[in-house]
Amino acid sequence: MNRLSRVAAVIGVGHSDWVGDWARVRAGERPDDNYGYGASAFRNALADAGIDRSRINGLIVGPTTAYERMAEVLNLNVRWGDQADAVLSVIQAVTAIESGLADVVALVYGNDQRSVGTQYGGPQAMGGDMFLSYVYHAPWGMTSQGALYALMFRRFCELYGVTERDLGHVAVAQREGSSRNPNAIMRKTISIEDYMAAPYIVEPLRLFDYCLINDGGVALILAEANLARRLSGRPVFVEAVGRYDLNQGATSLEPRLTEFYRPAQQAVAEQIFGASGLDRKDIDVLQVYDSFSVHVPLALEGYGYCGIGESGKFMRESGIGLAGALPTNTGGGHLSESYMQGWNHQIECVRQVRGECGDRQVPDCRRVHYCSDVAGKAVSIIYGA
Amino acid sequence: MMLQNSATPARVLGLYDEPFWKRLKQDGRLSLQCCRHCSTWRYPPGPVCQSCLSPDYDWKPVSGHGEILSWIVFHRSYLPEYSSPYNVVAVRLDEGPTMISNLVEEPPPGSVIGRRVALQPVEMDDGVTLPRFRLLD
Ligand SMILES: [Zn+2]
Repeated sequence: MNRLSRVAAVIGVGHSDWVGDWARVRAGERPDDNYGYGASAFRNALADAGIDRSRINGLIVGPTTAYERMAEVLNLNVRWGDQADAVLSVIQAVTAIESGLADVVALVYGNDQRSVGTQYGGPQAMGGDMFLSYVYHAPWGMTSQGALYALMFRRFCELYGVTERDLGHVAVAQREGSSRNPNAIMRKTISIEDYMAAPYIVEPLRLFDYCLINDGGVALILAEANLARRLSGRPVFVEAVGRYDLNQGATSLEPRLTEFYRPAQQAVAEQIFGASGLDRKDIDVLQVYDSFSVHVPLALEGYGYCGIGESGKFMRESGIGLAGALPTNTGGGHLSESYMQGWNHQIECVRQVRGECGDRQVPDCRRVHYCSDVAGKAVSIIYGA
Repeated sequence: MMLQNSATPARVLGLYDEPFWKRLKQDGRLSLQCCRHCSTWRYPPGPVCQSCLSPDYDWKPVSGHGEILSWIVFHRSYLPEYSSPYNVVAVRLDEGPTMISNLVEEPPPGSVIGRRVALQPVEMDDGVTLPRFRLLD
């Protein structure tokens, strides 16, 4: 049994007005800063949880904001706190709850990346000082994170016969979900033909393989399991968590180019499935961190939802759309809903398990698997009713 | 689709990077750190051997030969020095390490994965010698 299984549950989720702010930013306005977006998401999560702010005794803020300032803005004096990305913040909250450091933890993320022009490629690439591969190869014109995934996908296609057209199923499926999601920025469905007709950005990746860049915030509130049952009529439990890193040769992209990050995903799969008593057949929805569409076929194979080299066939024939064998990124993900660096996926997991996704709801959804395979680590969370 | 030879985007020049560029410029050969203790090659340059953690190394020339692991074509320009389209390749050197670089020629139609390549040092107009590669067969 995974020791962190059902130790904590999500009792509240919220986000800022992604759609409205997208329009405002495109009109040249700056609706909010990082802290403002985080605060509006937090306000919504608090209302969703139906608890008083004073009940919160733990806080984790995303990497885009300073811990002390966010806590000041939200006026939270807590007994435990930290700063972490989306997937690690959930795991750290569960860990803190398990060890008794806190029993109600708020997770708050805000990002004004669009209105301030954060660059994820080029000379000022975000994270260049933290992730050497983002900047090290600039003398050869190699920049932009999409290019790293393009390089990986080209080799993946060569080895397994997966095609660019197969990859198009990711963008098409996620637009199906986002077209039925009032919170999604991109609402228009697309066909495989539309996908193929779009221009290359870094060949073999096309426009629709890339995530959005937009402003916004996301917040979640987690509580200790028994407390969660008392505080909430619909707690969504963290059923299992797992992590494994592949760092050897990371700057030269070795873990991605030679093994497509698969050994890390397989190690995580053992942690979240074998040990938890759950298996892939128990998963109703998959959520994948999708800075680029390529993450999806690699996750399908790495986590064992299909065989090695079979993701193209799986997406084509079994399907990852709402009516497919494994509905994936049902809200539209980073490609079409909102680019909240994995945070929006967490609340889509919760909403699918709660059954409140309206036209995009996957029937009888009991468990959702979230995975992210970026920046030196493969991590997964299973959420369940 | 001509590769530009005029200006080099800013290089990462940490404590261990200088000799890599200096040696290439001096003798036209690619040199990497080689562990004095266990002979493991190191790239990008760094403080210790990844195999044995020894801090002792020598800069030694490598063959400059390798194999293409993957390649891409940029259709968007992210850096002022590079206007699209242009190619980027990942080359596994025969000595082990993988380098990101460019093919000096237009990539031929079809796939170049698995093709053998050799080092082609390019004198940039800004004075930097840039290690690129050419197809061998
Ligand atoms: Zn050594």
